[in-house]
Amino acid sequence: MKWGNGQEHIRPTEMLKSLNRFRSKRESYLFWYMFLLPTILGIALFMLYPMIESFRLSMTRGGNEKFVGLDNYSRVLTSETFYHAVYNTLYITVFQLLIALPLGFIIACLINSLSKGKNFFKVLFYLPNVTSMVAAATVFLAVLHPEGLLNFALSKLGFPATIWLAHPTTAKWGVILLSVWNWLGFVIIINLANLQSISSDYYEAASVDGATRFQQWWKITIPNMTGSLGILFIVGWIGGLQRFSDAYMLGGLQGSPARSLHTIVGFIFERGFGGHEYGLASAASYVLFAFILFITFLNTKLSKMKI
Amino acid sequence: MKRMKSVSFIITLMTILTVMLSACGSNNNASSVPGTSSPSADASSSSSPNANLTGTLKVQVIGDFSVEDKTDPKTGVTSKGLHVVKEEFEKQFPGTKVEFITMGWDDYNEKTQTMLQSNAADVYQVPGIAKFAEQDLLEPLQSYIDRDKFDLDQYLTGQIDGWKAMGSKDQNPEIYGLPFIGDARLIVYDKQLFDDWGVEYLSEAPTPEELMEKAKKMTGKNPKTGEQNFGITYKAGDAADSVMNINESKGGQWGTGFLWQDMKIDFNSQTMVDSLNWLVEATKYAPTGVLAGQGSENFLTAKNNIAIALRMPPGFVNDIAVTGTQDRFHAALLFKNPTQGMGGMFAGSPFAIGNTSKNKDLAWEWLKFSGGEFFQKYMWESQRNQSMPVIKSAANWDEVKAIPQMSVILQQMSQLWTPRYPYRSGQPRYILSENVEKALLNKATAKEALDKAQKDSTDWISSQ
Repeated sequence: MKWGNGQEHIRPTEMLKSLNRFRSKRESYLFWYMFLLPTILGIALFMLYPMIESFRLSMTRGGNEKFVGLDNYSRVLTSETFYHAVYNTLYITVFQLLIALPLGFIIACLINSLSKGKNFFKVLFYLPNVTSMVAAATVFLAVLHPEGLLNFALSKLGFPATIWLAHPTTAKWGVILLSVWNWLGFVIIINLANLQSISSDYYEAASVDGATRFQQWWKITIPNMTGSLGILFIVGWIGGLQRFSDAYMLGGLQGSPARSLHTIVGFIFERGFGGHEYGLASAASYVLFAFILFITFLNTKLSKMKI
Repeated sequence: MKRMKSVSFIITLMTILTVMLSACGSNNNASSVPGTSSPSADASSSSSPNANLTGTLKVQVIGDFSVEDKTDPKTGVTSKGLHVVKEEFEKQFPGTKVEFITMGWDDYNEKTQTMLQSNAADVYQVPGIAKFAEQDLLEPLQSYIDRDKFDLDQYLTGQIDGWKAMGSKDQNPEIYGLPFIGDARLIVYDKQLFDDWGVEYLSEAPTPEELMEKAKKMTGKNPKTGEQNFGITYKAGDAADSVMNINESKGGQWGTGFLWQDMKIDFNSQTMVDSLNWLVEATKYAPTGVLAGQGSENFLTAKNNIAIALRMPPGFVNDIAVTGTQDRFHAALLFKNPTQGMGGMFAGSPFAIGNTSKNKDLAWEWLKFSGGEFFQKYMWESQRNQSMPVIKSAANWDEVKAIPQMSVILQQMSQLWTPRYPYRSGQPRYILSENVEKALLNKATAKEALDKAQKDSTDWISSQ
C-alpha cells in the first residue's frame, strides 16, 4: 500500500508487530548483557580505572601530585639505570627463549615418540611450572651456592667452581637457568598438544613414499608446529619483559650484584614502592606497556601470526 | 507480565550477586576480639586521670604480630598474642575497646599511606615516619607531652630523637611518634675461633683497624681444627650502611639537612672513600660468596667458620639460644663518630597518631602505654623475635640481665645516629648501595664509585 507521495508504507499493525519484535529482541539481548555486568564492572573498577589513574599519576610528582606534564617520561627515558634494566631484561629473556623453545620442542618430540610412559614424563617436566617461583628460587639459591649442586656437577666435569650470584654475568645466567627450568614444562605441554594434533596420515603417506624418520620430522612435524611455536615465542617475550619475581628472589630489590639483575619491573617497583616516586614509576609502567606492544607487534609480524 | 518477571528476576539476581561479591571481597583485617563489649558512656571510672576516656581505638601494627597466642616454628615456644596488651589497656581504661589491624611488611608504607588518608585507624606503627609527617598526616605530639608532663627520659638515649620528623610547617625536626620497637646492628664475633687462633677478643668498641687486623689473622686454616676459616663477613645488601658507619668512625657523616629541599649529602668525602677502601680490603678475608649473601649460613651455629660478622641484628640472641651457642658468640658496639658520639643506622618502629583520628586523646594514652613497663615487658617476653626494649629500665629486668649480650645491645641502641639518615627514604639510598657494590666487585675504584653516587644523588635531590 502506498501512502501520499508515492512511498511504500507499512501497515500500522505490521509496524507495531515489527516494533514489538525489535523490542523483544533488544530486551532479550539486554537480559543476557545484564549477566556480563558484574564482569564489566570488575574490569572497569580493577583494570580500567587503575590504568587511567596510573596514566594521570604519570604526569604528576610528589605527595601533593603536582602536574609535571611529560617530565616523568623524559626522566625515565634519560635514566641510565632504566636502560641498564632494559638491557638486563632483554639479555635474560633472549637467552631464556633461545634455550627453552628449541629444548622444549625437542623434548616434546621425544616424549611424543614414546610408546610407554608419556604421562610420567609430561608430569615430570610440567611440575616446575606449577611450582611457586618464590619456592623454586629458594631452591635455586642452594643449587647456585658456591658449594651447591651446580658447582658440584661442574667440578665432576672438570670445570672450575663459579660464585654464580656474586658476578654480574654469572648472576644473569643463574636467573636464565631458573627461568628455563620453570618455563620448560609449559613449552613441552603446548608443543605436545600440537604434535598430537598432526594427523598420522601424513606420516603414513611419507613412510610409504620412503621418507626417513628425520625427513618426516623435518618436512611434516616442523612446518605443522609454527602455530604453537609462534604463540610460545610471543607469550615468552611478554612474560620475559614483565619478569620480576625470579630476578628479585635471586638479586633482591636492587638486583644485586651491581644492578645486574635489575629488570624493568624491578625499576618500577624500586622507584614506586622503594622511593615513593609513584609518578615516575607510573611513567615507567607506560613505557614498558608501549615497549611490550611494539615487541608483540614485531613478533606477530615475524611469526606471521594472525591476531 | 513476562517482562516484569524478567526484570524482577534480573534485579533479584543482581542483588544476590552483589551480596555474594561483597562477601567475597570483604577483607577486613581488623582483628575484632570476641568477648569484648561495645564502649558505653556510663563506663566505670578508674583512678587514671584520663580514665573517663571511652571509645574504640584502632591500632595498626606491622610485622609478625597476631592477636591470638602462637607457637614459634623454630623454638616450639608458645608466645602470647596481642590480646595481652589489649586486655590490660581495656582494664586501665574501662569503656574502651582496642581493635588491632595487623599487616605484613610487604608494601607497608603504601598500605599505611592509604590507611592514613582514609582514617582507617587511630594509632599507626610508622617506621617510615618522615614520609607521613611531611604530608601532615600525623599528629604532632609535643603539646600532649607538655600537657601530661610525660617523662621522655624513660626511653633509651636517642630513641625519641631518632624518630623526629618534620611537618610541612616545621622549621626543625619535631616529635611525631614514640618508640615501641627497638632495633640496632651490632658486631658479633665467635669467641671459640678467637681462642683457636690465640687472638684477643674484640674490645667493647673496636675500631675498624682492630677489626681488620684480627680478621686478617684469622683467615686461613684453623690451627686447631684445620678447617678453612674466614676473618670477617658482612651482608652485601647492607654494605652501604656499613661503609657509612665506618665513615662515622673516621669523623665523617652522611651529610646535613632533613627535607629534600635543604639536604646536602656527602657521599664522596675522603673519609667515605677511605671507608669503602676498607671494606674492599676486608672482603679479602670474607667467604668467596659474601657479595651474593652466601658462605655465612653457619654463622651463629656450632659449625661456624667465620670470626667476625660486621652487622648483625639484635635477634641473634634468639638464634644462639636455639642453637645452644650462647657462650660462643658475643657482641661489640658499632663504630661511632668521635665528636658526635653516635653512629650506625637508626632502626626500629614508633607509634604515631593519625591527624584525622577522632580518638586522639585515647590514642595518646596508647602511645604512653606502649612505652610503659607492662607493654615493653610483653614485647620482650612474647615478641622478642622482632623487638628489643626501648626503655632504660629494661636493663634491670632479670631476664635481660641473664643474657650478657643484651647490655651491648641496649648500649648500641642508645648511641645510634639520630635523626635517622633521611637520604634512605629516597633514591640516594639505592644509588649509594649500587655504587658501593660496584667498588666491591672491582668494577670501579672507591673514588669513582662514590663520585658517581654523589653526582647521581645530588641530581636526584635537585629534581625533587
